[in-house]
Amino acid sequence: MLIQAAVENVLNASALIFPALECFHIIGFALLIGSIVIVDFRLLGVGLTREQPSALTKTMFPWTLAGLVLIFFSGPLMYSTDPDMYYLNWSFLIKMACLLVALVFHFTIHRTSVNRWAAEGAAKGVAYTSLVLWASVVFGGIFIGFVSQGL
Amino acid sequence: MLSFCQWLQATAFFTDLRGSGIIYPSILSLHMVAIAFFGMMILVTDLRLLGVGLKSYPVAELLGRLRVPKYFGFALIVTCGVLLFGAKAEEYYYNIFFRFKLIILLLILIHGAVFRPSVYRNGAALDASGLTGQAKLAATLSLVLWVSMAICGRGIGYIEPNLFKLHARATQTGTADTSRLQAAALRVPVLGAGVIR
Repeated sequence: MLIQAAVENVLNASALIFPALECFHIIGFALLIGSIVIVDFRLLGVGLTREQPSALTKTMFPWTLAGLVLIFFSGPLMYSTDPDMYYLNWSFLIKMACLLVALVFHFTIHRTSVNRWAAEGAAKGVAYTSLVLWASVVFGGIFIGFVSQGL
Repeated sequence: MLSFCQWLQATAFFTDLRGSGIIYPSILSLHMVAIAFFGMMILVTDLRLLGVGLKSYPVAELLGRLRVPKYFGFALIVTCGVLLFGAKAEEYYYNIFFRFKLIILLLILIHGAVFRPSVYRNGAALDASGLTGQAKLAATLSLVLWVSMAICGRGIGYIEPNLFKLHARATQTGTADTSRLQAAALRVPVLGAGVIR
């Protein structure tokens, strides 16, 4: 059923659509991750250290949101072009798990520690965790192309 | 240049790198992580120079604070890029998107050198006089160049030069060092790795 869905998917009609979606995806995750990482660097005392982390998060939020919109627009469409491949791809599954953890972490612990200006040590721990989580999402995404098994 | 690329990818180091199941994609991942971590700093700078965002930061301070992280990010991205290129140098030599990408990289370096005195090392004056047309031009060009860079980078994965055909043609016309080509042919990498489907 999934294969049939992929064959009927209009996104597979042109060879240019998938690479175009990938470009949106790359720009999207660069915005999403970049806007979060700038705050992480702030927590680590690097880069834009003039403002409080909470103010910097507020400044960056439109870009975080724009990135989220772009990845959640392009990602599911990319998935729909070949659902079986993704469904059976262990790297894809790990990526989705990391993405879920990263997003939950971002909107809970990260958000709270930024707003309450947690103790320096704790804030640094949060920043490093955030960096590792987002990097693992990117690694998971890239490895999809290297571990895929043809059906 | 072609024979340099063939020699480069045939070196023991790059042959091992190409054959490694995990290291090659890890370097590519690191390349992308660095883009995700540091690309936003370019956008932030551009937005500030356009007068659109981060107005709470004086231009001089923003440029100064982001300079070292941006250089670090650029160095990381380029290092990974060189390693990725070396592993498949011959393929990349033929790849039209890779050639575009090198041209854009050159334009980015020229862009930096051209706008350095008037914009990137001139933050204090921009704060005093307001954002000049030069600053806005620099920011706009920077945005265009970096987005093109990302698009060409993704394009590279979609072109698979047929090395067997190219080698056969070179051998027939007698324009190639046959022994080197045979050695290269034995080491033809898994084509298309990195293309998601």
